[in-house]
Amino acid sequence: MTPKITIDGQIVPFEPGETVLDVASRLGHAIPSLCHEPRLKPTGACRMCLVEVQGQRRLQPSCAWKAEDGAVVTTRNDRIDTHRRTLLSMYVADHALDADGLPVDQGGTGNRLRTHVKDLGTGPALEPLTAVRRDRDDSNPYVHFDPASCVVCGACVRYCDEVEAVSAISLIDRGRRTTIGTADQQGLLDSSCELCGGCIAVCPTGAMTEKPALGVPRDPEPTRTTCNFCGVGCQVDIHVRDGRISRVTSPPPGTTVNDGNLCVKGRFAMEFVHHPERLTSPMIRVDGELVPTTWDVALQTAARGLLGVKQRHGADALGFVSSSRCTGEENYLMQKLARAAFGTNNCHQCAAT
Amino acid sequence: MKKANADRSAIMEALEHAGGNRPGVARAVGDQTGIPEADVHGVATFYTLLAKPDVQVRVCQGLSCQLEGAARLLEDARLSGARVEAVSCLGQCDRAPAALDEHLEPVLTAPRGGVLPADPSLPIDLGGPDTSAYSALARAMAMGPDAVIAAIRESGLQGRGGAGFPAHVKWSGVRAGEGPRHLVVNADEGEPGTFKDREVMLRRPHKLLEGIAIAAHTVGADTAWIYIRGEFQPCRRALERALVEAKLDLDVRFVDGHGAYICGEETALLEAMEGRRGMPRLKPPFPTVQGLFGRPTLIHNVETLACVPSIVERGGAWFAGLGRGEPGTKLYCISGHVQRPGVYELPLGVTLDELVEVAGGYVGTPKAFSPGGASSGFLPMAHRDVPLAFKPLAALGSMLGSAGVVVLDDTVDMADAARWGQVFFEDETCGQCAPCRIGCSLQRRAVEDYRAHRDPAHLANVEAVHHEMDEGSICGLGMTASMPLLSAMRHFPEDFA
Repeated sequence: MTPKITIDGQIVPFEPGETVLDVASRLGHAIPSLCHEPRLKPTGACRMCLVEVQGQRRLQPSCAWKAEDGAVVTTRNDRIDTHRRTLLSMYVADHALDADGLPVDQGGTGNRLRTHVKDLGTGPALEPLTAVRRDRDDSNPYVHFDPASCVVCGACVRYCDEVEAVSAISLIDRGRRTTIGTADQQGLLDSSCELCGGCIAVCPTGAMTEKPALGVPRDPEPTRTTCNFCGVGCQVDIHVRDGRISRVTSPPPGTTVNDGNLCVKGRFAMEFVHHPERLTSPMIRVDGELVPTTWDVALQTAARGLLGVKQRHGADALGFVSSSRCTGEENYLMQKLARAAFGTNNCHQCAAT
Repeated sequence: MKKANADRSAIMEALEHAGGNRPGVARAVGDQTGIPEADVHGVATFYTLLAKPDVQVRVCQGLSCQLEGAARLLEDARLSGARVEAVSCLGQCDRAPAALDEHLEPVLTAPRGGVLPADPSLPIDLGGPDTSAYSALARAMAMGPDAVIAAIRESGLQGRGGAGFPAHVKWSGVRAGEGPRHLVVNADEGEPGTFKDREVMLRRPHKLLEGIAIAAHTVGADTAWIYIRGEFQPCRRALERALVEAKLDLDVRFVDGHGAYICGEETALLEAMEGRRGMPRLKPPFPTVQGLFGRPTLIHNVETLACVPSIVERGGAWFAGLGRGEPGTKLYCISGHVQRPGVYELPLGVTLDELVEVAGGYVGTPKAFSPGGASSGFLPMAHRDVPLAFKPLAALGSMLGSAGVVVLDDTVDMADAARWGQVFFEDETCGQCAPCRIGCSLQRRAVEDYRAHRDPAHLANVEAVHHEMDEGSICGLGMTASMPLLSAMRHFPEDFA
């Protein structure tokens, strides 16, 4: 028989291994959370997602609590509301606030703490605490970290370890000083970090943000496209502001082939798009000077040159190297060109080793 | 990500050898062990003995030391020009105020406190001779595991670390699990006012080793690990000496603590042993099912295991009959404003007055007492007749905890006493979960602001914050970390008016 769990009075079947949060989300019961990330092992550290499980004296983290046959779970009642609002008050007292007294929105991934405060309200008004977390002097070009808007949930640390297998960052120090850091607080460029920016994507509060886009609001309707840096085919969402690309994000985990991940090129290497020296038409060299021309002329010039080499020195004097930005299909066409049109096996792809 | 076959549990010792958290050490230890350097740095900055390697004098700021002038000692040490660190309770409350030198050896002039005279009718008998005959071990092996567990069950032995959990339930659980199994001895005694395990290790190391051997044999553990707080070097030496004499047929290993009160919590302790930051795990799974290195693990406090040999030798019913209301005797630590601080083995359930009488009487006029460490808070003398046992104290919203009883006389301002407790918890919270991490700071600030301005408005949210710390924290530290302030406000409103 299929196992069933009761959530807020509703009896629902579940798959073995599903957590209470998984099942509740499927039902559309919103359970607030900060540290939950579907790609990562749950730690239950943020305590936002606590629910009542019948028979348990204490509230339990729904992100880690496995659904059990016959279990009865409540995700919303007075006890849970009091817990959530007081906890939110405490988070707010320990967080960078904007002029309205709300948790700051740095523009990047947004700030779920801010959303929860708006949706659920807060409990007692607590005077802000003085932040004591160590900051890091970091000249890396891409990842900005603001300890004052960090909730120390560790999602970035777990992502860096469990998904990227890089472990450039860790929780450091203890108690109220606990923060995110590197070995000896060196800059990310001096660490094992690959600047993939996954820490930014999983950060619930925007404490980790794209440095080039600091303070720039998200595009509410970004353009979905395929990253053209390599042949993997990662889907990217291009955010545009005033006619210029402001940031690149990944579609949510579980929706596209890249499962929420991007690399340093896909996420950050978009400066060339608006660069003044970017080539916008084909060029050929006339009397030693590069001059703009049409594609027809450019292709004919290239063909003439290549055929000339073949006539003078034989086909094996030619070699064809395609770019790592090409797709599999493009690479196929390139070797076809080398072998069928020019008659040489000298073909290679720059990402092949 | 760690390299294949990298041994994370090796990094603590490697960090210790490298001199703690100094520039470049994280990378060197990372290279040596295959553990990512950021993780190494994360571990090195968690434990106070590793995080601040250049400290020359560590001055205890525990409750009993505060009563005996810890603040002045700290000030004097700073004026001397030495590199000084204020630290949480050092477990030397019977000769307060205490401090450690740079080799972590106690710098104390007073002798250790009192114990009862030798009395072979006591289960632990701190004053008695520490024989290495191991007759109880021989008897346990002859009885077989089922009979030993039955005796433990009959004895009613409750965990002496603070929670009072029935010991036999753990033993049966671990024995039912699949091997390999582990036994872990929690010798990370750090609860303010508590120094009983210290005395067991110094005076009766064989008694403890015999208890360890019986427990390991009974539950089928291949290895016994003694996790001993780094500040207890004399205890480690005593145990190592005894271990050589004992010639046990058991793999016994020592693991040093490196300065983190939270590692007294059993799952934080396991994290520390595995080379991680000492942050408690989510439970379930409990250690009896998934403990050290993922294996079924029996974790017991030193005193609990030291009770075992006499239970095996004289029977569970005998042990159970020694207590009043709850089974057995208990090692009560008493310090503060009493004549003869020390560790006294008395029936579980004696009153404060009975305990203090054994300790030579009160000094001055008693005003308050803390029955079992910082998490138990303070009680007024109106409760001097309550049995010092698990259930009666819990009924008062306090706890027996580790039975580290501290008496405060009427010269003490309870706002001061509450502040010492809240500073302690703010220093010792691991920082993993928000209710505890943020709550500890809020409560410390509340009592400090009150002391500075004597304005009760600063205390307006103490109850609400405590409620959430209790409701939302992952482990017991956060759930009870408001107790010093909360109990002082409840029972001594005149000091917070």
